[in-house]
Amino acid sequence: MKNKILNIKNLSKSYGAFKVTDEITIDLHFDEIHALIGPNGAGKSTLIKQIVGSVKHDIGSIILDQEDITDLTDVERAKIGISRTFQVSSIIPQFSAIDNIVLSLLDKSSKTFQMFKSVRNNKELYSNANKILNEIELFEKSDISACDLSHGDRRKLEVGLALAMDPKVFLFDEPMAGLDESGTNMMINLFKKIKSNSPILLIEHDMDAVFALADRVSVINYGKIVATGTVDEIRKNELVRDVYLGYEI
Amino acid sequence: MIVEKIFNKWILVFLFLIPVLGFIFEEPYYITLTTKVVILGIAGIGLNLALGYCGLISFGHAAFFGLGGYVTGILSFHALNSELMFSWPFVSSGSSDMLVIWPIVILSSAFLALIIGLLSLRTTGVYFIMITLAFAQMLYFFAISWPNYGGEDGLSIYMRNSLPIINTMDPLTFYFICLCWLLIVIFISAKLINSSFGMAFQAIKQNEERVKSVGIETFKVKLLVFVISGTITGLAGSLYTDLNRFISPSVLNWQMSGEIMVFVILGGIARLYGPLVGAAFFIVLEQTLGGYTENWQFWLGLILILEILYVRTGILSLFEKKLKYEK
Repeated sequence: MKNKILNIKNLSKSYGAFKVTDEITIDLHFDEIHALIGPNGAGKSTLIKQIVGSVKHDIGSIILDQEDITDLTDVERAKIGISRTFQVSSIIPQFSAIDNIVLSLLDKSSKTFQMFKSVRNNKELYSNANKILNEIELFEKSDISACDLSHGDRRKLEVGLALAMDPKVFLFDEPMAGLDESGTNMMINLFKKIKSNSPILLIEHDMDAVFALADRVSVINYGKIVATGTVDEIRKNELVRDVYLGYEI
Repeated sequence: MIVEKIFNKWILVFLFLIPVLGFIFEEPYYITLTTKVVILGIAGIGLNLALGYCGLISFGHAAFFGLGGYVTGILSFHALNSELMFSWPFVSSGSSDMLVIWPIVILSSAFLALIIGLLSLRTTGVYFIMITLAFAQMLYFFAISWPNYGGEDGLSIYMRNSLPIINTMDPLTFYFICLCWLLIVIFISAKLINSSFGMAFQAIKQNEERVKSVGIETFKVKLLVFVISGTITGLAGSLYTDLNRFISPSVLNWQMSGEIMVFVILGGIARLYGPLVGAAFFIVLEQTLGGYTENWQFWLGLILILEILYVRTGILSLFEKKLKYEK
């Protein structure tokens, strides 16, 4: 238990007779990237939504850093250290890239309810935001409106928003979808760097990236975890090959 | 943006010049008209904070406008008639001093906005519109059925409320009191919009789920914006009662909420001076077209349709577009 920062037990969610997640038990260790793979519609994104609290689960428990967060709201979970990216880019479209990052820094710096000081004069916030933009290679585009950024840059900005929160764990939902090779490499290097501070639960369809990054992999199918193990164990697992990977890998 | 800023400065120059010229040429009608523009502009700026910047489409801001008006009217009515208003927990016979009335109006409008906000902000979209409308209509029917303060006929206060040293009965003096309030409201709104808090509520308008995911308590932010917005509109209601020396339930009606919304849409949603320009445009239309036909609102409707189809972001956006074209 001590080496687990996130511990999910028997998490289930049904819509009528359809079980989206079925007694999922999964954990995330310190210093690790735990990849969650599976076919479309398997329940990966719904699981993320249940962990962050935007979808209410039916049964089960979620423990973060030895604290039971099962009954906390989505905002409370974000405040105590769960940071996510969305499957489809979810940014503030009319804000510049840097303002998006600054927004993400507000809560941590207790500035949300500061009413009469110009936020743009806050050098500390903007300097921290610039550092994050540098990490995600968007420094040159800091003043561009988020809605004018390319798809790849929006994916990077998504990750930047998560980074800015300096959370206990990251939940990344297909962060590399639609990125070119250099973008993917940048993400891989970045995730390797940040995982020691905040471990990552990663949903990703790019298997090369998953195998390059993951310390452990869990496979989900029809809302159930069907296998968990190291990259090599998962690659060799017959059931996983049947339901998802196929036989060419 | 630069052209819009220059235009905004010209608005303030006009707001200064028109009443002064009205005074010089002994045309108090223009002073009263400009006072009305300023007061309704304040109400619109209040709504714009919630609607324009935070995306809260309130169709019940008449509740705050009317409450501000009735609080002013009732306090003044008791003071002028030397009638006891209440005797517990302390004895009060109202007040006709603006310095007493304004804080009471601000506190009562804020309290009402807090109550309405606490209940209505649990909903979104069309439900939020309907629940805010329902609250305003409840107050409207309450005012109609309250005979102590005029009921359907409204309440006259005969004499404008007073300020120490200053003669508030003088139209130009009262105008400048209202103009001071307008400048204060613009200053506060500008500060809010450019602050961290402003960044949060403007982000909520665009993508609330994302704002929640970065740990910002969106309910609290929206509630605070709603309270500030309602308070500003309540203050405008107080000034409106003093301008007319009369208050009636019609200011609580949904049509008033609609008119305040029209000021915002006409001038420019999420533009600081937009509601002021919208209110001025509305009153100019009312005065000019109203001279020719009783059904002048038909033309207002036509203008609104054309604006929404071809301009969308209000009269002020025409000046922003011009700048982009010039570039």
